[in-house]
Amino acid sequence: MAGRVRLPRTFRTTPFRLTLLFLALFAAAAAAFLAYIYVATAGEVNRRADAEITAEMASLEAAYRQGGPDALNQTLIERAAGERPFLYLFMDKEGRRITGSIEESPLDDFDGKPDWASFQVTETDPDGAEIKRPARGLQKPLPGGESVFVGADVGEAEAYVRKIVRALWGAGALVILLGLFGGALVSRNVSRQMAGLADTVAAVRSGDLHVRARVRGAHDEYDELAEGLNEMLDRLERSMGGLRHAGDAIAHDLRSPLTRLKARLEVALIEAENGTGDPTRALEQALEDANGVLNTFTAVLAIARLQAAGEAANQTLFDPGELAADIAELYEPLCEDKGIDFKAEVTPALQVRGNREFVAQALANILDNAVKYTPDGGAVMLRARRRSSGEIEFSVTDTGPGVPEPDRARVVQRFVRLENSRNEPGSGLGLSLVAAVAEAHGGRLELDEGPGVFNGTGPGLRVAFVLPRVE
Amino acid sequence: MRILVIEDDLEAGEAMVRGLSEGGHDCTHAPDGEAGLKAAQDGEFDVLIVDRMMPKMDGVAVVETLRREGDQTPVLFLSALGETTDRVTGLQAGADDYLVKPYDFAELNARVDALSRRRQSGAVATSLKVGDLEMNLLTRVVCRSGKEIDLQPREFQLLEFMMRHAGQSVTRTMLLEKVWEYHFDPQTNVIDVHISRLRSKIDKGFDRPMLQTVRGAGYRLDA
Repeated sequence: MAGRVRLPRTFRTTPFRLTLLFLALFAAAAAAFLAYIYVATAGEVNRRADAEITAEMASLEAAYRQGGPDALNQTLIERAAGERPFLYLFMDKEGRRITGSIEESPLDDFDGKPDWASFQVTETDPDGAEIKRPARGLQKPLPGGESVFVGADVGEAEAYVRKIVRALWGAGALVILLGLFGGALVSRNVSRQMAGLADTVAAVRSGDLHVRARVRGAHDEYDELAEGLNEMLDRLERSMGGLRHAGDAIAHDLRSPLTRLKARLEVALIEAENGTGDPTRALEQALEDANGVLNTFTAVLAIARLQAAGEAANQTLFDPGELAADIAELYEPLCEDKGIDFKAEVTPALQVRGNREFVAQALANILDNAVKYTPDGGAVMLRARRRSSGEIEFSVTDTGPGVPEPDRARVVQRFVRLENSRNEPGSGLGLSLVAAVAEAHGGRLELDEGPGVFNGTGPGLRVAFVLPRVE
Repeated sequence: MRILVIEDDLEAGEAMVRGLSEGGHDCTHAPDGEAGLKAAQDGEFDVLIVDRMMPKMDGVAVVETLRREGDQTPVLFLSALGETTDRVTGLQAGADDYLVKPYDFAELNARVDALSRRRQSGAVATSLKVGDLEMNLLTRVVCRSGKEIDLQPREFQLLEFMMRHAGQSVTRTMLLEKVWEYHFDPQTNVIDVHISRLRSKIDKGFDRPMLQTVRGAGYRLDA
C-alpha cells in the first residue's frame, strides 16, 4: 500500500490548519460581501439608465399629446441631431419605421403594451471596424396607434460594472494571498515556540530532569505554557529528589533497627539452645523493634499517599475551633502529667474546609512534638484563629529548646532529626506528615521562634498550620 | 468461640489461626473469598475475620452477600488500606469493625472479643453494672458502692466503653477510635493519662482496683 503523502511540517501544524480554516471563512464572508457590492452597483447602473429612458419617453409622449405625430416626428429629428445619447424609433400602426436613429425595433413581438428590451447596437469606429455595444430600451404605444421606442447605450455603465468586478476579483485574490502568507508566518512562529517546548519534553522523556523550557518574557500563552511546564518539572524534580532522599533515609533508618532485630533473634536462638537467657524478654524486644520499623513504614506510606494524591480526599466544612478544643481535651491530661502548663485559645464559630481526620492527626503530631520537647515547668499553648487574610491558623507554641533558624526548613523534611533530639523516640516523620497534610489542603506549615526564654528554657518553637480561607 | 478467618495470604492466615487457637478459640481458615462465603453460609460462627482484598471475591462482596442473606454474624475487616474512604466503604458493606494491617495481635484479639460480646447485648440498657460500680445512662450518675463519683463528660464516655467491655482487654487504639473517634495512633501515651485520671476517680479509696493495665495490650475493667 502506498503511504500517505506527508506534507511539509509547516502545512501539518495546527496553527496552519487553523489559518486555512479561518481563511476559508474569511474568503466566504468576503465573497458574500463582494457579491452584494456587485448586485448593488450593477442594479443601480441599470436603474439609472431605465429612469433616464422613462423620463425621455415621458417628454416624447408629451410632445405627441401636444402636437400629434408631426410634432413628435419633429422632436425626434431635432433630438437625434442633438447631444443626447438616446436611440429613437417612431413606428406607424404596422410597425414600419417612420423616423428614428435605428432601423428597426429590437422588440420583435411588440404587442401594444409598454415593454423593455436589452439589445446591442452596432457602431462603426473611426477606423471602420464594427463595435457592438450593449443597449437598453423601452417601446410604448401612442394614442394614435403608432408606437415609439427609446433606447440608451449602456456600454459605458456596463464597462464600469466590469471594472468593479475585476477589482473585486483582485481584492479576493489579494485576501487569499495575504491570508496564506500571514497563516504561514503565524504557524511558523507558533511552530517554533512549540518546537522549543517539544524539545524540552523530549529531553525530559529521555531522562534529563534538569532541562527547562525557555521563557521569552512576552507574557503570552507560550510563556504561560513554558512556565507551567517548568513549574511541573521543578515539582517533579523535587519529588524525585524527595523520593531518592526518602529511599536513602528509609534504608538508613531501617537498617539499624532491622540489624538489631536480627541480632537479637540470633542471640535469643543461641540462648534458647543453651537453655540460658530470657527468651520472652528477647522476643518482646524484637517485637518492639519490628513495631518501630512498621511505624516508620506506615508514616512514609501516609506521606507518599498524600503527596501522590495531591489533594486530600473527603474534605468537608468543619469548625476549626471545635476540632482544636477536642484535641486540646485529648492532650491536656498528658501535659498536666508532665507538669506542663497547657492552654487552648480558640476563636469560636469559624469555618474551614479539609479532611478532619488528617487535620486532627496533624495537630496531634504537632502537639506530640511540643510535649516531647518541652521540659517540666514549661508551657504549651494551642490556638485556633482566623488571620486577617481569612486563612485559618492552628498554632502550637512551646517553651522547649526551639529550632535554630537555619534548621527550620530542614526539620520538615523526611527523617531529619536534629542532633540534640537523636536520643528521643520518634521516626523523624511527624512534621513531614504535617507538612504533607498542609500541602494536600493548599495550606502550609510555618516554623518560628517561640515566646523566648521561660523558666530557664527556651526560646521555644511556634508551629503554625495554616489552611486557606473558605470562599 | 468459633471464628472463621477468610484470608488469602496463607502464612498470615495460618499465623492468625494459631494465635487465636492459642487463646482458646475454635478457628477455621478459608483461603479466598468464594470459599470463605461458602464456609460462612454453611457453618455457625461467632465472628468472621475477612481480608479486604482477595482473589475471586473481595471482602466487601463477601460481607454484602452475607448481609443480604440476613446473616448478622459480626465481621471484622482486615485491610492494608487505611484511609477514611476505605474504612467507610468497609463499614457500609456491613462490617462491624475495621483493622488496618499491620496490626498487633493483641489488637486483633481485643477486637474479636469486643465483637463477640456485641452480639449478645440485645435490649437497650438504661444502666450498666460491673461489680459494685454502677452507671445510670439516663441520669449520667456513676456510683461505686453507693458513693457517687463525679466524672467529666469524656471520662464518662471512657468508663461507659470500659463497662460495656468489662472483663475484656481494650487497646489504646480502640479507645481512641470508639471514645474520641480518631483513627490514628498517637505517638505518645495520651490515652494512658486519661485512663490514669479515670482510675484515680473510680479506684481511689477502694481496696480493690477495678481498672487494670494489661501488659502489651491495653486495659481491662474487672468486676
